[in-house]
Amino acid sequence: MGLLRYTLYRFLQSIPVLIGITIITFLLANLAPGDPVRLMLAGQEVDEELIETIEQRYGLDRPLHERYVTYMAGLVQGDFGHSIHRNRPVTELMLNRVGPTLLLVLSAYAFALVTAIPLGILAATRRNEPTDHISRIVALIGVSTPSFWIGIMLILVFAVQLGWLPSTGLVYPWRGPDGYDWIETWPELIYQTIRHLLLPMVALGTLQMATLMRVERTQMIESLQGEYVKLARAYGVPERTILRKHAFQVAQLPIITIVGLNLSTALGGAVLIETVFNINGMGRLFIEAIQQLDYQLIMGITIVIATMFVIGVIITDIAYAYIDPRVTYGEGE
Amino acid sequence: MRFDDNEVSRRWLLATGASVSAVAVAGCIGGNGNGEDASGEILDPEEYDYDREEPDDEDAARESTLVYTQELERDEDFDTVVSNDAYSVQVANLIFDSLYEFDYEYELQPKVAVDFPEVERDDTRYLYEIHEGIEFHNGDELTASDVAHSFTAPVEEETPNISTYDMIDEIEVIDDYQLQVDLEHPYGPWEMFNQGVSIVPEDVRTDDPEAFNEDPIGSGPFEFVDFEYGEYVELERFDDYWDEPQPYVQHIRFEDNVDDASRVSEILAGDTDAIGDVPNDDWETLEDEEDIRVHIAESPSVAYIYFNCNEGAGTADPNVRRAIAHAFSATDYVETYLNNAAMPLVTPTSRITNELWDFPLDEWEELYPDYDPDLAQELLDEHAPDDWNPTFLAPDDERATLAERVATRLDEIGYDMQVQTMDFGAMLDQTIYSDGDPDDYEAYIVGWTGGPDPDQYLYPNFHESQESVNQGHFYEGSDDFHDNILEARESADHDEREALYTDVIEEILEELPALPVFTEHNSMATGEHIKDVHVHPQMQYNPNLVHDGANVWVDDE
Repeated sequence: MGLLRYTLYRFLQSIPVLIGITIITFLLANLAPGDPVRLMLAGQEVDEELIETIEQRYGLDRPLHERYVTYMAGLVQGDFGHSIHRNRPVTELMLNRVGPTLLLVLSAYAFALVTAIPLGILAATRRNEPTDHISRIVALIGVSTPSFWIGIMLILVFAVQLGWLPSTGLVYPWRGPDGYDWIETWPELIYQTIRHLLLPMVALGTLQMATLMRVERTQMIESLQGEYVKLARAYGVPERTILRKHAFQVAQLPIITIVGLNLSTALGGAVLIETVFNINGMGRLFIEAIQQLDYQLIMGITIVIATMFVIGVIITDIAYAYIDPRVTYGEGE
Repeated sequence: MRFDDNEVSRRWLLATGASVSAVAVAGCIGGNGNGEDASGEILDPEEYDYDREEPDDEDAARESTLVYTQELERDEDFDTVVSNDAYSVQVANLIFDSLYEFDYEYELQPKVAVDFPEVERDDTRYLYEIHEGIEFHNGDELTASDVAHSFTAPVEEETPNISTYDMIDEIEVIDDYQLQVDLEHPYGPWEMFNQGVSIVPEDVRTDDPEAFNEDPIGSGPFEFVDFEYGEYVELERFDDYWDEPQPYVQHIRFEDNVDDASRVSEILAGDTDAIGDVPNDDWETLEDEEDIRVHIAESPSVAYIYFNCNEGAGTADPNVRRAIAHAFSATDYVETYLNNAAMPLVTPTSRITNELWDFPLDEWEELYPDYDPDLAQELLDEHAPDDWNPTFLAPDDERATLAERVATRLDEIGYDMQVQTMDFGAMLDQTIYSDGDPDDYEAYIVGWTGGPDPDQYLYPNFHESQESVNQGHFYEGSDDFHDNILEARESADHDEREALYTDVIEEILEELPALPVFTEHNSMATGEHIKDVHVHPQMQYNPNLVHDGANVWVDDE
């Protein structure tokens, strides 16, 4: 099976997974205790007639299976339904919030990769030396410390005590607030984006960085002990070339897998980081939707996150095949 | 300005969840109920009643620009006919003028109205005269038909605010500056409750209501200039504002930050000029900061422990309810957990309401059950059912600490109460929207924010028509109890209403279908450079940038 066919196959394979996710999420959201209409009207002097009218308006009076079919019919047309609590289309609400989350998660990944790979290689090449020990301690701290706590500490040090960086919020490179005079030029906008992004990016990326660094170290050590490396050394190939051409390339395969599979962890971490840094992203929207029992919104966000995760896994598989020609799929099946 | 209980209760429903979330449930059960474990003295809001401040350089003050961080996110409904959340209304109140507005003593003062209305036809007809020459931000004149529309639109359009105005029978616009409002029946809370209506421009609004909701035009001191959904709202001073004082602030940006720790960090780091709702545990930290000032005002909110009075519940017996009330000390609880953010309360109406209505508080304080574990045990031994094992439902926030404390005190005298903390929505479903099954709960805790009129507390929380709508305690009451609440609501005679409410409140304190526990404050922290800040008791008025009692400015020197 060629790469193209495999790609198509993997995408088709994901469809039943996503349908399963919609069924489970729909059931969980609709069977959870709490009535969204009553919660929306909490505290008002309302009568049952008004509640029934609102339930009819949103189709909440119909049987669960009918509602699911209607929901799915809308979903395939890109309609994620209507938020009762916010009286707005779910698609619009999510589009408003997806940008900050993607910016945060991608930058955290970038930070993790840029720091973890060199540090992992350094630790591998200096195995059992002080550098390796320090990297181990850093990784241990990074893996075992909750990201929100790192975030709070970063705020305390760099925002509250030193005053170098802003404590909350995000400035988006694609959109400057209209009312602020201080953003008049693109360089200023980019500068402000980086300033606002640094702390949440480090807070969210530290766990990924620590994980990747240890994996990179282990893989590099294994690669450097491989037969082909020994052969290259025997031929007198310079150590730098061995590292770059032989060991490094093979060592990256597990990294790609981890990056893809950790997407859900990163999105989960973003929920907390968005709360700590007051970033109006999907994570915070998700928390708010759960608090308000805004089940259409809960459904929408769950489906989007699940889809992103599934796509992440597929891309991981495809990238794996692309980078390592030895990897083949389905041949002989 | 609207004062529907729906809107204000939402403030309570939402805000309390965020206000003191830093209080962990762990460790909440300590103390012996006599105040020995109290963490601090209860803060007196009057000590934070700052003197007025005036700028030396008015021109510089008029260049003031500030960022205000709200404690909960807005629903982003800025059309007051529609808006149903206190945080959108905080923005809207700067954009719209109201017919009347409350001063810092919570007394109504005419705003768009020239004076107080003439009342005719047995308190069912109100004649209003409005100022001439008031202009909306688009240059149109504000007329009586705009006022009429502002009253009737929530009913005609069935917005969430319908119940606030649905007692209006007819409105006649006499001329551009006079209108007559006829009610279906006398409605006691009309003056205190409904005359604060914000005036929206009928033509612009009806032309495209949805667009108006996100780009409102009012006649208030600030105009809407920029808005990004879920992120910020920016307002500019309206330089042709018709009334005095003219605001100093030129530009204000509203943001929100629901996380207490993060919001406090923002003000500490100087990333915002002011934050709403100072968490109890952060009060002293902020107060000790040289460049930050904390502000506080008493609010009309009440937290109640409700008891299930339905047949079959152990708490259907008033002696059992009284025993629970005697088993713990509300004062001790507030001193321990909310000393900077709340005060103990002994009446089902707010302290503000009590003061305005001159209720006999001294007598009522005598009725309130004080901490007396021996009496509690005696009452329970005599009146609690065999194998009594009540369930106390509480939202999963600081109110859970109160439920835990009550359960601990009962445990100390030999009774086992189960505390069940729940997601707020699920808890409402199981309590106030329920049929009161004693197996589900025998007590629950919810708050309510009303206003100056007793009706705003007593009708929604105690009248039988509100069972399964706003309350789930199913209190049968004496022969006249519910009739008195309704009669007081449908009367406009102050003395008559006061007498009726006095009877009702005394019965509540004697029979305890609900035990009032504390009132929560409105609070704010501002940078020292923000001057003349005064927190208004009506939280929707905050930040109160311009008013007879305040004109906020920024001191950049």
